[in-house]
Order: sequence, then C-alpha cells, then structure tokens
Amino acid sequence: MTVKTLLLAGGALLASASAASASGFQVNLGGQKNIGMGGVGVGLSLDQAAMFYNPGALAMVRDNGVQVGVNAALARISFRSENDGGQRTLQNSVVTPFNFYAGFGPKDAKYKFGVAVYTPYGNKVKYADGWEGRYALTEIDLKAVYVQPTFSYAITPQLSVGAGLMILAYGSVNLQKDLPLPTGAGHIELDGKAKTQFGYNAGVFFKPSDKLGVGVSYRSQIDAKVENGKITYTGLPTGASAGVVNPSFTANQFAATLPLPAVASIGIGINPTDKLTLGVDAALTFWSKYRTLDFAFSSDNGGTGVVGGKPTSTSVRNYQDALAFRVGGQYMVSDKLAVRAGASYDFSAVRDGYVTPETPDADRAIGTLGLSYQVTEKLGVDASFLFEALVKRTQTQQDLQNLGTTDRVAGTFRTNAYIPGIGLHYKF
Amino acid sequence: MKLYIKRSAPVLGLLGLGLAGCQPDIDAPNMSPGSADFSSYVAVGNSLTSGYSDGGLYNEAQATSYPAILAQQFAKTGKGPAAFVQPSFSAARKDGSGFVKLLVVNGALTPVAPSPGPPPGGNNFLGEQVAYTNNTLPAPPLGSGQPELEAYTGGQPDNLGVPGISVLSADRTAASTGSAALDAATRATAGAYGNVNPFFQRILPAADRGTKDYVTYIGQKNATFYTCWMGNNDVLTYATGGGVSNLAANPFSGLTDSTSFGRGYRNIVNTISKGGTVKGVCANIPNVANIPYFTTVTVGAVLAAYKAANPAIANIYVTARTSATTTATAARVATATDLLTLTAQSYIAANPGVGASPLAPIPSQYVLDPIEQTEVLNRTTQLNNIIAKTARQYKAGLADMNSFFNDIVARGVVTNAVSNSATFASGNLFSLDGVHPTPRGYAVVANEFIRVINVTYGASVPTVNPNDYRGVLFPL
Repeated sequence: MTVKTLLLAGGALLASASAASASGFQVNLGGQKNIGMGGVGVGLSLDQAAMFYNPGALAMVRDNGVQVGVNAALARISFRSENDGGQRTLQNSVVTPFNFYAGFGPKDAKYKFGVAVYTPYGNKVKYADGWEGRYALTEIDLKAVYVQPTFSYAITPQLSVGAGLMILAYGSVNLQKDLPLPTGAGHIELDGKAKTQFGYNAGVFFKPSDKLGVGVSYRSQIDAKVENGKITYTGLPTGASAGVVNPSFTANQFAATLPLPAVASIGIGINPTDKLTLGVDAALTFWSKYRTLDFAFSSDNGGTGVVGGKPTSTSVRNYQDALAFRVGGQYMVSDKLAVRAGASYDFSAVRDGYVTPETPDADRAIGTLGLSYQVTEKLGVDASFLFEALVKRTQTQQDLQNLGTTDRVAGTFRTNAYIPGIGLHYKF
Repeated sequence: MKLYIKRSAPVLGLLGLGLAGCQPDIDAPNMSPGSADFSSYVAVGNSLTSGYSDGGLYNEAQATSYPAILAQQFAKTGKGPAAFVQPSFSAARKDGSGFVKLLVVNGALTPVAPSPGPPPGGNNFLGEQVAYTNNTLPAPPLGSGQPELEAYTGGQPDNLGVPGISVLSADRTAASTGSAALDAATRATAGAYGNVNPFFQRILPAADRGTKDYVTYIGQKNATFYTCWMGNNDVLTYATGGGVSNLAANPFSGLTDSTSFGRGYRNIVNTISKGGTVKGVCANIPNVANIPYFTTVTVGAVLAAYKAANPAIANIYVTARTSATTTATAARVATATDLLTLTAQSYIAANPGVGASPLAPIPSQYVLDPIEQTEVLNRTTQLNNIIAKTARQYKAGLADMNSFFNDIVARGVVTNAVSNSATFASGNLFSLDGVHPTPRGYAVVANEFIRVINVTYGASVPTVNPNDYRGVLFPL
C-alpha cells in the first residue's frame, strides 16, 4: 500500500472526537489491544501499534504484520445554561477514528521498518439549533491525520530504540457559529485545510528480563497551519440594512494556527506469568503551548477584510500541561483468546473559566474492556470498548467576565463518551 | 480488509444507536423564593418600569418590561404570581403612543419619530396602530392639554409604571421648597396628575382622573412583594431638557429638591410596603449624563460635518450657563465637554448652519453644559443617598442601578458571547430614544434585579438569557 492510498482511506474514514479519551482535543486511540488495556503501551511491545505508543519497541515485536482498527466515538454532551433554559444536548453523531500499521523486517534481524497512520488529534461536535452558546459555536469539525514512516533498531537483545518521521498529511478545520446581527441571526462558516508539516516520534524500550519492560517515548509538536481558509456567510441582510451591517463582514479568507502539542510518555510493562501482561503508563501533553486561538482575516479582492468589523480575532485558551495515568492488563484465556481491561484518569488541559463549547473539557475517568480472537494462525480480530465520564463542570458569566473569556457561554457541561472499536491483524 | 471494515461499520453504527440514549443528565438548579413571597408582585415606577422604549409605550415593549420578566421568573420558584397584569393597549391599537422606528431616509438608516396624536394627524406614515382618542387632556393649569390615550379597561394592573412620573409629581404632599406659591402649584398639579399625564390618566378609573395622585393610587394594591424604581425623572426631565426648566408652565421640569424628594420617596415606599411589612427592592437613579441621549451627537461630529461643507468654519457655538449661581446663559465656543442632546440632531437638520456663528448658537435646551452636568450629578448623588436610606428604613433590598449602568457604559456587557454596549442603536441595550432600554436592555436590568433579590432574600430565582430579547430592530 502506498502512502497515497492510505491517505485516501484515511480521508474517507478518519475523524475523531475530542471526547475520545484524552484531554483537550487529543485522541489516544492508537491500537485496539492498547485501548482495551486502558490505553497503556509505552512499556509494552504488543504489536505494530508500538509505532504510535513507543517506536522504540517496534524492533522487539516478534512478527511482521499489518493491522487496522476503527473506533466509533459517541460523545454525549449535555449543557445547562446559567440562565434557565433547560438542558441542551448535542446533536448526536458518530465519528470514527481509524488507525493502520504495517511493520516488517527480515526474520531475526535487529531492525524493523514500519508505516503508521493514525489520528492523535481531532474534534467534532455539533450543538442543537438555537442553543444558548450559538454565538460562540454551533459546530466544529477538526481533523488531523499523521503518517509516520518508522525505523526501530535493537542495540542489544534488551535495548531497542526507534524513531519515526511524523507527517501531518491531512489536517482540516471547519468552524461554524451564528452571528448576532441587528437584523436577526446570521451564520458564519470557516473552513480550511492545513499545510503539510513534519515532526517526529521517538522512543527507547528496555527489557531487562522476560518479566519486565520499561519505555519512554516522545511525540513532537506539530503546528497545524491554515493559510487560505474560506469564510462563508449566510443570513446577512440584503435590503435596507445591508449598507450598515455588511461592511463589518467583508473577509472571505482566514489564516490560523493550531498547535498539536508534544507528548512525553513513560511506561512499565510486567509479565508476572506467561499468560498475564500488565502495563502502567504516565503521559504528559504539553498543552501549555496553546495560549490563544488567533484568526487573521483577509479578502481575496483587495486584501483587507473584516469579520465583525475587526481584521483579526483572538480567543484566549491558556491551556495547561495535562497529565494522564493509565493502567491495564491482558490475560490469555487460551492460545486463541485474550481478554483485557484497564482504566485511566486524564487531567484536563482547560483551566476553570476557560471551557469552550468546542472542547467542553474536564478531568475524565476512563474504563476499558477488550478481547482478541485468533481466527487462524495468521489472522486475528481485536475488539475494545471504552467508556469515559467527564467531571461535571460549571462556569458563570461572572467568571467569564473576570477572566476576559466572554467569547464563550456560561453554564454547566457534562459529557460521557462511549467508544466501541474493532480491528483486524494479520501476521506474516 | 477494507471490506471487513466496511461491513463492521454498520454494526458499530447500530451499537451507537443503542448508546444514543445514554445522555448524561445535569440536575436542574433548585429554584426557590427564599424568604420572599412573590404571589402578588407589584411594580412601582416610571417609564423604565412600564417598559417604555423607542420613545413610546406599546404592547410589545410592555411585554418585555423588567417587571414582566421578573414576574415570569418569580413564577418558576413555585411562589410567584399566577398572573401579572400589564395595562396593555387593545389589540387593534397595540402600538400605544407610537414609537420611533429605524427607517432608510435618503439612503441612510435614520430613527424616524412619530407625530403624536390620533390619525390622520398622528403617525399613520409609520403604519402604527396608535391608541390616541380624538380628545385632549384638560388645559393648564392642572392639566397639560396633551392628546388623550385610549383608556385601559382591564383588571387593576400589577405593573404600575407611569411614563414621565417623578417622585415630586407622584405625591400631592411632597413639595416643600419654601416658596408657598410654587409648592401650592406643585401639590395641586400632583393631585390632579391624571389630567397632566395621559399615561396615568389611561390607567385611572374615570372617577379618579384629576383627583387621585399616584401615591394614593398605588396604595390600593395589596402587594406581597414590590419593586420601586422611582426618582429618575426628578433629574432626567431637567437634564434631557438641556438644563432648561419653566416651572411656571410645568412645576415638574426642574431638579427636584432633596427635601421634597425625601418626603415623596418615603411616602411611596411606606405606602407600597405597608409601613415596611412587605418585602421589596428599591432601585436608585443612574447617572443620566452617559446615556446615548447625551453621548451620540458630539460637538466634534457636528463641527466635522460643518467643516466638510465649509472649511472656514472653525468653531461650534452653544448657548450655555455663565455661572453655577445664576440661570443666565450666553453664547460661547462649544467644547468636547458640552453634551448635545439626541434631539439636537433633528434641530440642526431643520435649521442648517445653526451653531456655526456666535449670532446663532445652538439653543440651551439642546445642550447640557458642564455647569448643568455638575448640578445633575450632584443632585443624583443626593437623591440616591435618600433612596439608600429609605430602603434601609423599610427593610428593602437596594438595586444599585447607578453603579450597574456606569459599569455598562465603561465596559459593556457580554451575554453568552454577544457583546452589548451603551452605543446608540448598534449597542443593543438602549432603544432609539437614547434613554430607555431595548427589550435586551430590560432583560439585563431584570437579571440585575434578580441578582439583588437572590442576595437580599436568600432566593434562587433564575436569570434570563438576554440574547432571547431583541436589541434595536434594524429593517431587513
């Protein structure tokens, strides 16, 4: 498979929900086996998904293989306004984060090659029509697809290293909200594609004995840059007030940069018996790089352009670095059947009073289950289920006013997410 | 492999549908009246309480008056009024006294004011269904000769807001200036106030017209909770008149002295609160100098417009007070500290070149000069001290609308990601008369009342989303 066909597959299927198991708009759904184990993987060498969790461990993966997985992320967001407006719910949609790995190398060689395609960041929400926060956001769809050619080398039988060139092969953003025009509600849609950018993913894996593995990995930041995004308006007045209102909305292009932050992880894997594998991970995502979300507006006829009368817009984010702790295990019931369970706790990147409807983030508790069944010697099926509950979070208009974050909405958010997943692996 | 993914996707989708019911619930906040009893809520006040907007009183504006919003929110505590009666106009005359509309005139959006009175002399050209009869109120003295409005015929209203009423004109015992002749005229006119003010006349039973003053009228209500927002017109009438009063023609056109105000205000609160036994909230008087009525037309803008037509024009001249101790006025060069009234705009349009020379200065009634501004501000502070003291005396909460509006003028107010400001027309909060709020502005005011009520009485009355209420209506 070429990178190009991979991208086509990715473009069609890939999308991710921010509620998919990590803070901010991060997505930690790297591989079906790992998902079933609470998302651990840095100290393990389970399969080709090591390219995502710890490229250093790829050389320790015994078999060559190809695997593919898809999740259905169902985020259920509820909102209750500070003003009494009843409970609002998200328009339910299913997004399908997707991953693909192919890893191979000569038998008994010290090295392995591989290519990985995955979605480490993404976000999709759509609120019900007419909700209180309509002038902050009605809909967002943010996609990021990374393609990662990887090389891993076992320096000794105990120590291996690996690195991958991380390519932001596909990135897109679609952001929509209503406009509070004096003639009634209008609507604005910003839609753009990110330029191709490069980063890296590197890791070290140390396995001093059959019973213990230790890993560290680092995934670099990539800035998703949109240069000539398109702006579309609907509902601007066409009659008497057009001359007064419309000069405030002349931009038809925008530029923006969104950081997809770096992640540093450390993990331990333990095999108390042949049948049992346990993993513990800790990950730190460097969200503090996300200070503001800035848009620069322009027009393709004349250069200058404004939205709401302004040539730029800045929305304060002030994210904080976020830690996540994960634990999980796998038990081989038979040669063919493995069962898994895990849990994790992710701390929110979003500070109090900074919660936006596009990422109604909060600390999250996550529980997972998984299983694999080896259909034939070479072909196996993996399945996982992840449930996460976000802590209920409230901000008042007074909080927003005090922090200067009044471009969002006052009230209480609560989110649950249900993420079933299924995958196939083929060894050769 | 792709095929497998394709086939499993519908399965995942079905699983998704099964889970779609698993929406997390957020408990509704507890709504409580606290120690207050809203079962009979009565609103005492002037135009702000009546819902007056865009230079008029009409059914739509009444429906979004802050008392109407409060009553609706009080009801949610389970101890609110079953009905809150507004003295509405009949459906066929729903536009009441008529109101200013934003229309395109000569290619520009312009506020167009109605002509008062009944059709055809009235404002048929705005297409409004006004409620004027063909009668006029009794002529002066003890009357104003203004066009009469259709009488309100429903049950006794709970919204007792009367546009134009002041504390001085509400109480036939209030005046105590020391001038016996003036006091007698003031008291007599307050006693006959139904013959002066068509908005008061229309809600009075026929027998009470010209005989019952406002304090007596509100004493007929048995409130369990009240709001009282009175006093604005005791400074506003003088200020919007550019600091020009003619007490002989209208005894209520000046700044009310603090002794008369204190007497009248205590009478009002004592009456509606039944001597302090009924709970309520008093609101004080916002500083009138920073409302759009005074901040929209600026000396700089008038000068710039004149200069554009004739570059030789270097100054604008106004008629202004010469000293704080006399009412004498003289023409002088206008400065940025002179506040021109919103009405100056149409006066200048009708009198081209006015103000361009010291021989034809802008008349005093269109200018609130710094001497008059200081007068108004000082009097507002005095009257607000009386309001605060009276509220304490009668155990009422105090809504500090003066601070609240100062804050809005300084910073605007953002409501669920929508910016609102005190800017004329486009700021959403002030209606086209430059003085009274829009429905959005009244919603913001209602939320401030609710905040004070919740703090004062340990209640948890929910606020409203101001974005559900309109700002200035722009034509499509």
